[in-house]
Amino acid sequence: MAGKPGTNPTTYSPSMATGKTRTPIFKDHDVDWVRPDGRGFHQCRPAFFRTGAVNSASGSAYAEFGNTKVIVSVFGPRESKKAMMYSDIGRLNCNVSYTTFATPVRGQGSDYKEFSSMLHKALEGAIILETFPKTTVDVFALVLESGGSDLHVVISCASLALADAGILMYDLVASVSLSSLGKNLVIDPVLEEESYQDGSLTITCMPSRYEVTQLSITGEWSTPKINEGMQLCLDACSKLAKIMRSCLKEATSTSQE
Amino acid sequence: MEYVSPEGLRLDGRRPMEMRQIRAEIGAVAKADGSAVFEMGNTKVIAAVYGPREVQNRSQQMNDKALVRCEYSMANFSTGDRMRKPKGDRRSTEISLVIRQTMEACILTHLMPRSQIDIFVQVLQADGGTRSACINAATLALADAGIPLRDLVTSCSSGYLNSTPLLDLNYVEDSAGGPDVTVGFLPKLDKVTLLQMDSKLPIDIFENVMQLAIEGCKAVANYIREILLENTKQLEYRRGL
Amino acid sequence: MVGLSLGEKHFIQGGIAQDLRSDGRKRLTYRPICVETGFIPQANGSARVRMGATNVISSVKAELGKPSSLQPDKGKVTIYVDCSPTAEPMFEGRGGDELSMELSVALQRCLLGGKSGAGAGIDLSSLIVVEGKICWDLYIDCLVISSDGNLLDALGAAIKAALSNTGIPRVNVAVGASGDQQPEVDISDEEFLQFDTSNIPVIVTLTKAGRHYIVDATSEEESQMNSAVSISVNRKGHICGLTKRGGAGLDPSIILDMISVAKHVSDQLINKLDSEIAAAEADEDES
Repeated sequence: MAGKPGTNPTTYSPSMATGKTRTPIFKDHDVDWVRPDGRGFHQCRPAFFRTGAVNSASGSAYAEFGNTKVIVSVFGPRESKKAMMYSDIGRLNCNVSYTTFATPVRGQGSDYKEFSSMLHKALEGAIILETFPKTTVDVFALVLESGGSDLHVVISCASLALADAGILMYDLVASVSLSSLGKNLVIDPVLEEESYQDGSLTITCMPSRYEVTQLSITGEWSTPKINEGMQLCLDACSKLAKIMRSCLKEATSTSQE
Repeated sequence: MEYVSPEGLRLDGRRPMEMRQIRAEIGAVAKADGSAVFEMGNTKVIAAVYGPREVQNRSQQMNDKALVRCEYSMANFSTGDRMRKPKGDRRSTEISLVIRQTMEACILTHLMPRSQIDIFVQVLQADGGTRSACINAATLALADAGIPLRDLVTSCSSGYLNSTPLLDLNYVEDSAGGPDVTVGFLPKLDKVTLLQMDSKLPIDIFENVMQLAIEGCKAVANYIREILLENTKQLEYRRGL
Repeated sequence: MVGLSLGEKHFIQGGIAQDLRSDGRKRLTYRPICVETGFIPQANGSARVRMGATNVISSVKAELGKPSSLQPDKGKVTIYVDCSPTAEPMFEGRGGDELSMELSVALQRCLLGGKSGAGAGIDLSSLIVVEGKICWDLYIDCLVISSDGNLLDALGAAIKAALSNTGIPRVNVAVGASGDQQPEVDISDEEFLQFDTSNIPVIVTLTKAGRHYIVDATSEEESQMNSAVSISVNRKGHICGLTKRGGAGLDPSIILDMISVAKHVSDQLINKLDSEIAAAEADEDES
């Protein structure tokens, strides 16, 4: 199963050095409230990634965005179940689960059931499935603490875990979500902001290829607003991917030493 | 509660020996090999037949006859109150089994060895007598799929309330808790293939009630035959013969 | 799912490239839509929608409930899709659950707007009876009877039709109840309130096959897709929801182009659907 809570690093400090600040694209002239964690509207939470969180898995990664803490382990490629029919491309199996203590109210997180299929869709476009026919790759994600924007953290973390497992991908997959609150667009919303949002936009993309693998929008949007939101997210995605890349590089350089 | 008024009328205005209006339509599911909608009053079911086709699960394959499978499911808007868990409860498992056994008895399974026939029945609206309606719909769908049958098996229920035998119970009469006899009948061979009863009845009255249900089955059989004939004529017409 | 030979695949792809699909349609033409309202008399509202061989039923049931403490001025709407095994033997048992879940979530995303309820096709505040105490819970249950591609658009249309067919009983609240007491209500069985359905968006799924997009793909065409994007658009031309449904990655500019195509197509679809619904309602009144 996905990483036992005991196997994640018990002592670490989220290195603020890797956190990023984004230059606001617009002057904040329409600010009429402060975000709960004091960020600017177009500022993401500090992102922290670390690979190799679960020893028994072929690849794993731990991600922490503010209060959202996620662990993803990847198993395989391994032989598909006997009941499965022959397939000349590999299969991807994704599962997202929550710990009972992940949400403010214990065991209450009902809207994550669709996350598994959304994770699957976000990743399948990026993985080169042709390279492992007849086999299955299992991606298990466990949300240790839910602090808002869980899905996009899970997706980004999963792509890192896949890279750690040595699964061939076209590119790293980075995902960023955005909330529309009134007339403002707020990037990387926390739980509180998510519950009051008028609409949301989540983009998952492969930054180097500049391709979107998953996009979902809720709420009412006009076209210019979608344009603006997509630009913001894509920009954030490419920056997020840089952090992910540096995390991978760091991991390999330390293992070589 | 009074189920039959002194004038001899039932709650929905029928006579004791009167059936609800039946309506059938062939070919509601374009992709299936055979399909049919069957309505008895407010009860509305849809049946689809897939097969004969290759057996999905090899271990279930039989070398001398076809495997018949059946699944009964209720839509969650089918009952008066919304159902929360539409699938896999004990009642639907039991009805699936009843329908499977009834249909298996009339399909000439030995003609199609090493193959599988799937019957799916879906209840769109339940107002008593879903079991009978499902069997009737399944028969029509099997006939539409061109699967060799011994006979057109039809089904009808009857009950006994206020010392009166009643044909084709609706939901209110069904839930009265009185005896409820469901009969599956092969009209041409004049044989009963399914007989179920809840509650208790003296044997002489039981005979009457069962006879009533059989009469109901015969009436349904006539109607089904008409529908099938009509359907065949239409097919013929479309071919330009 | 769909087994196609190489020749068939080329035929479908070639047809799409030449703007003449296997059934004679153009790339952006829908199959004829057939709407039948009042299909389930036991429900508050219901409709059956057929698009070619795709056949779906949607029913609306209203129950009195309590609004959530977070949003005391809004009713609740739940959309639930069930895939009947009659449509595909694969859906037997729990086999249809995955698709059901996917469709339910996509519909919820497309029709119910954001978490705060803004931009919802259904005005949630119209479902309130007594603020903070009593509201209508709408249960929208859909059933897939027969599937030949483009389920999401058909389901969206069926929900729209079912909601226009829905009559919610008028509720009289007994005066005098105050404080924390749950007020007594009297549900009228004669007076019904109709929904304003003009704001309910339609869903347009654009399937990208090769370099072109098509609407209303059949399941054969769906098997040839690279990727598909479902976009829900309301009468004002605003986007009310969007989901990309698997497949390969897309360039952001292509997505924006798809959105503008969807807007254009939705205009015709809304008009066509409205006239179909009106005709179906008139039919039902007569019979």
